[in-house]
Amino acid sequence: MRKLGPALLVPVLAACAALGLAACGGSGGKEGGTLTGSYASFPDYLDPALSYTQEGWTAMYDTYLPLLTYRHADGAAGSEIVPALAESLPKITNGGKTYTLTLHKGLKYSNGKPVKASDFTASIERLFKVSSPGSGFYESIVGAEKFAETKQGGIPGIKADDKTGKIEIELTGPRGTFTNELGMLFAAVLPSGTPARNLSADPPPATGPYEIAKSQPGRGWSYARNPVWANTNSKLVTEVPSGHFDKIEISVVRNETTQVNEVERNKTQWMQTTVPSSVRPKLVSKYEGTQFRVEHPINIYYFWMNMEEAPFDDVKVRQAVNYAIDSAALERIYSGGLTAAHQILPEGMPGYKPLNLYPHNMAKAKQLFQEANPSDRNITVWTDNESPNNEAGEYYQGVLSELGFNAKLKTINADNYVGVIGNQNTPDLDTGWFDWFEDYPHPNDYFQPLLAGESIAPSFNFNLSRTDVPELNKKIARLATEPLGSKQEDEYAELDKSYMELAPWAPYGTNTVTTFVDDEINLDSVIFNPTFGHDLTSFELK
Amino acid sequence: MPPEPNAANGPAGAGPWRLAWRRLRRNRVALGFGALFVLIVAFSLAAPLWADHVAHTGPNATHTLQKVEVDGERREVVDREGRPLGPLWLGAGGEFFLGADGRLGRDEMVRLMYGGRTSLLVGFASAAITTVLATILALFAGYYRGLTDTVISRTLDVVWAFPVVLLSIALGVTLAVGGLDIGPLHLSGGSLWIPILIIGGVMVPYMARPIRGEVLSLREKEFVEAAEAQGAGPLRVMFVELLPNLASTIIVFFTLNIANNMLLEATLSFLGVGVQAPATSWGTMIGSGFELITSAPLLTFAPGTMILLTVLSVNVFGDGLRDALDPRARLRLEAHAGIPAGELLDPVEGGEGSGA
Repeated sequence: MRKLGPALLVPVLAACAALGLAACGGSGGKEGGTLTGSYASFPDYLDPALSYTQEGWTAMYDTYLPLLTYRHADGAAGSEIVPALAESLPKITNGGKTYTLTLHKGLKYSNGKPVKASDFTASIERLFKVSSPGSGFYESIVGAEKFAETKQGGIPGIKADDKTGKIEIELTGPRGTFTNELGMLFAAVLPSGTPARNLSADPPPATGPYEIAKSQPGRGWSYARNPVWANTNSKLVTEVPSGHFDKIEISVVRNETTQVNEVERNKTQWMQTTVPSSVRPKLVSKYEGTQFRVEHPINIYYFWMNMEEAPFDDVKVRQAVNYAIDSAALERIYSGGLTAAHQILPEGMPGYKPLNLYPHNMAKAKQLFQEANPSDRNITVWTDNESPNNEAGEYYQGVLSELGFNAKLKTINADNYVGVIGNQNTPDLDTGWFDWFEDYPHPNDYFQPLLAGESIAPSFNFNLSRTDVPELNKKIARLATEPLGSKQEDEYAELDKSYMELAPWAPYGTNTVTTFVDDEINLDSVIFNPTFGHDLTSFELK
Repeated sequence: MPPEPNAANGPAGAGPWRLAWRRLRRNRVALGFGALFVLIVAFSLAAPLWADHVAHTGPNATHTLQKVEVDGERREVVDREGRPLGPLWLGAGGEFFLGADGRLGRDEMVRLMYGGRTSLLVGFASAAITTVLATILALFAGYYRGLTDTVISRTLDVVWAFPVVLLSIALGVTLAVGGLDIGPLHLSGGSLWIPILIIGGVMVPYMARPIRGEVLSLREKEFVEAAEAQGAGPLRVMFVELLPNLASTIIVFFTLNIANNMLLEATLSFLGVGVQAPATSWGTMIGSGFELITSAPLLTFAPGTMILLTVLSVNVFGDGLRDALDPRARLRLEAHAGIPAGELLDPVEGGEGSGA
């Protein structure tokens, strides 16, 4: 943690007292102090190039800024992309193939070093060097695919001028989602020379209002104010708020009921985790509107089936599974927090048109299963150990057993779940549970990383069903080049139906998450961004 | 000159096992807890009978959306907010006797009985593995001494150096994903044999060290010299001469290991690295019930009570067995505590309690 030396401290305090500056910690008693929070598990990574979970993105939303970001707001307003380290939104020319942005002049990292345009190039290159799960979003940059293979020679499609701050990105073809992708945490700008390894335990310097001062993977981490934010970056990056607390301390509390108890007893002020369903009714009746709120992020919960290998290489088997799943049972398993859904695109996403090709019908499921008569019935079902996902996995295993499979359940620690099931060397990746929260408000985000053949990767693979249908791959690729309009939305709806006819997944619902704070925090001020989750800069004392 | 007959050695003519049985019979508390243990085993073994003829459901069958009729009223097994049905006792003919286990709506009583089978199996099987491995290692280390003893003892020290729970968690997490391959034998990650082998393995040093000490002592006795003088080889000396003399110690350790291993299984399963879902054990039931401890405390207390009673009964019975098989250990205890010899000693029928 950074400290001011005594010689400097006296004049600074005197200046604060004289001017009463909010940034110095004196705005009516509501500024400064320490916010305490808890997570049920440590995020997958505290490295912006590697994290691909909402837990990780929440943790780094206010720390590592990309050139663009999403407005710090709730609901639909939070889906608006706005400039962050760039002066403005990109200028798109050359038929959608060239993106030009200019870095704010005078930006600094939390270690005092200047932010340079070439740091953006280095940050994108680092994605490929560390085999980031988000590197695929930037492979459309000219030379990126070659760099991904060789890790040498740089990416010629990014031209950065440190003197002017101008950054010109040339794509191999138009890509309608690229502006959104520039706002993802993967594109956060880090200093050139940042080591190409997982930095979760030793986080790099920040550009946002907070820096990660200390990280103990598995146990917790803490933030301090970025020392250069108040006087330098905040004056340039006007779309990102400065936050109210001087410090934020996050601890990992594995038991969610304990997390709730600690918030109720004012031991921690906020829990990032959704409250366990066992206590949800009590919290709703006691605290709704004052300390408790239900949030509606855009997401889909589903069971994936590996289409590459038997028995799920047979569409009849996959359809049988879809018929066998009863969303009504899963709604109860999720204690009413889940709303049934039976398609790829969740409600609220452009292109969403309600669809249910497989209403629950166990008799029909068994009939299809008998017709398919799979020779290999020994399967492994994967799920993580966080409630109620573990119970959803147990339910799924039971349904598959009833259908005629010899299904074994493997429950993996939530900290490692994505890494284990996304690694092709893991044996018996037959079927399992997964959820997907939007990366950005564009329907492509539900097709390209999750269902396009090109997304199948040896590690950090999110195309868990290993779906690779050339005709549909082409459609995804084509739609990705076009700006999103009503025509494209209709086509995405058709794509949704096409995939559900193939049934690579058995989607079962969209889930809600919760905000629960102690009685000292002003709930009304807390922002839940649909992409990044809770905005730490929005927390303030009453 | 042969020792005088006394409480420890018994009357002339009675065999050591007969004497032990006589002493055990006099220990009513130990016998009472032994009977309790037998009842618990019977309770667990009766799981399929209860499941088929009373509860009419299996341990893993989910009833999330079902309703049961209680006193003419249809009640949901799991309500819309995910709260499970409480105990119905005999209100629904024995179905959901202890209620439902959580949001999946499984019959808690059925799972408790099946969970007992798992916990007892893990306890017994892992204790057997520990006993066999520890005895063999202790015999080799104590008989051969020298380099063999050094290698075996230091290896056991390495295992001993790790806290047993942490070592078990580390192994459990690792093996839960990839399973275990030993030559042609493959155990999948969810196999019940994974926690059995882990627990059986990590407990070996705790049993091997004291047995090795006893082997070192017995190794110097005349009967060993006599056997060797008659041409007995090392294996014969170890397994025919020394092993019977270790029997009472091994039996006592075995019973105590069952209790310790059941506790370790419960700890590991509670932490999610022991018995894997959907299989149930008392440890996994505590783990899953803990989330509902405020609204449905029985889900935690029922398996917790079963573990308490089982461990208590095995421990008390094991203590009684030790007193019966090795009364000298008790005499040593009395001497160490400064209690007059024989004061703590139960009188044994036939005049064995006439004093040391």
